[in-house]
Amino acid sequence: MNQVDLALGLLDHQLVDSDGQECGKVDDLELDLKAAGGPRVTEILVGPAAWRGRGRLGRLAAALVGGQTVHVPWAEVVRVRAGVELGRPASELRLGRGDERALRLVERIPGAGL
Amino acid sequence: MSKIFSVALGIIAAIGGFVDIGDIVFNVAAGATFGYQLLWAVVLGVGGIITYAEMSGRVAAVSGRAVFDAVRERLGFGVGLVALVAGQLVNLLTLAAEVGGIALVLQLLAGLPYRALLVLAVLALGLVLWLMPFEWIERVFGYGGLCLLVFAVAAIKLNPDWGAVAHGFLPSTGSGDLAVYGYYVVGLVGAAMIPYEVYFYSSGAVEERWTANDLGTNRANVLIGYSLGGLLSFALMISAGALLLPHGISAELLGTTALVAQAPLGTVGLILALIGTLFAISGAAIDSAFSGAYSAAQFFGWRWGKYRHNAGAPRFTLAWIAMLVLGFSIVVTGVDPILVTELSVVFSVVALPLTYIPILLVANDTAYMGAHANGKLANTFGIFYLVVVMAIAAAAIPLLLLSNMGQG
Repeated sequence: MNQVDLALGLLDHQLVDSDGQECGKVDDLELDLKAAGGPRVTEILVGPAAWRGRGRLGRLAAALVGGQTVHVPWAEVVRVRAGVELGRPASELRLGRGDERALRLVERIPGAGL
Repeated sequence: MSKIFSVALGIIAAIGGFVDIGDIVFNVAAGATFGYQLLWAVVLGVGGIITYAEMSGRVAAVSGRAVFDAVRERLGFGVGLVALVAGQLVNLLTLAAEVGGIALVLQLLAGLPYRALLVLAVLALGLVLWLMPFEWIERVFGYGGLCLLVFAVAAIKLNPDWGAVAHGFLPSTGSGDLAVYGYYVVGLVGAAMIPYEVYFYSSGAVEERWTANDLGTNRANVLIGYSLGGLLSFALMISAGALLLPHGISAELLGTTALVAQAPLGTVGLILALIGTLFAISGAAIDSAFSGAYSAAQFFGWRWGKYRHNAGAPRFTLAWIAMLVLGFSIVVTGVDPILVTELSVVFSVVALPLTYIPILLVANDTAYMGAHANGKLANTFGIFYLVVVMAIAAAAIPLLLLSNMGQG
């Protein structure tokens, strides 16, 4: 991918890992403004803490929810279609951990595999 | 053959998704108060849901995005969050109203205490969602809801003044209290366009991996399904207008609705009406609980899907369980479910523009939609209904207060 309108083409899009599983949204972007040939995306920021950079409501929501920001290097992105597709499973990138935590709860209920 | 079958299923799902406690309450109350004068408002509402369900289904099929994916991509985090919170409040109020309605119908059938039946209703819904494959849920509640067709028979048997019925399809300012009339217009359009229908429909389309090849199915589902749903709404209003208005019976109780089928058709009519109502509002309860989970999962980027097993989408599963628990805790306070129904419909009108604007934007974006972007027809209707919804949204709360919630 060479040129995209970052605000519309990337920010707030769905992240999908190499197993086709949803694993968060592009909550914010880290840019290198001084890169040769114009600004480049260096990292995708994921997680409630990354909402801090998303306006007043974002700061409020980040303060309420807390947590850490996960940094995903741009090099992990394979392609951008309906979702931003990553080349590795979510767990290797420290993504989708909320679903892992919730799974430990859901698994305890009988019939969770149905 | 499987194509026809899938269209049939989609249509049944659309009817089931359309007729819920809001439609039943507002159509019967409007018929009891204004006779057939407000039939045009049902047509207006059905046109709106057809327009935006078609658009959201097409967006889902072509771009792979469900409603709250589009909401967040187009409105950004902050405004998107406002849309999410507004949508979730409406989903929750709708769910609470449906759960309360289930208990009311069970009370008419079984005569147990209301709160015990609330517990029973929410446990039964939880078990159905936990254990039953989704295709079954859709079929059982869809076919069960078709018992509501008894109201079409009732409407014909009550032998209404068909001239007056035809006249009701022409928009008018009505005779009687203008604030109450306006409140019913808001309610009828709002009940027809209640947002969970679109959240649910578009998410289902993404889950079933629709592509541009399914656009015909999409069109057939929404056109036939919602038109038939509208037909059921006409039947409710016409039979209420023919039976209740001349006798001066107001329709503040759900039992009054069943009476509308019992008077012309006897016990069979009563039972069919109650069973149809039970299945239709149970189906709507399931749809609205799922819609809450879909919206949250799509906004925050969790795994989601009703076709995955419960452990396959853990936060999504916890979200619909939370919806059921919260919905239950609203109605278990003893608040009148009919009151919750009316509030859910009126507030849904206020929340609608935030859902429909992003759908309209994405449907017009050729980068997402290619050759399947909105044409002139879809845009004419889309913009017309956006204006209608915004006008109604602005008028909703003042009319609610002015008309004393339709009591005059």
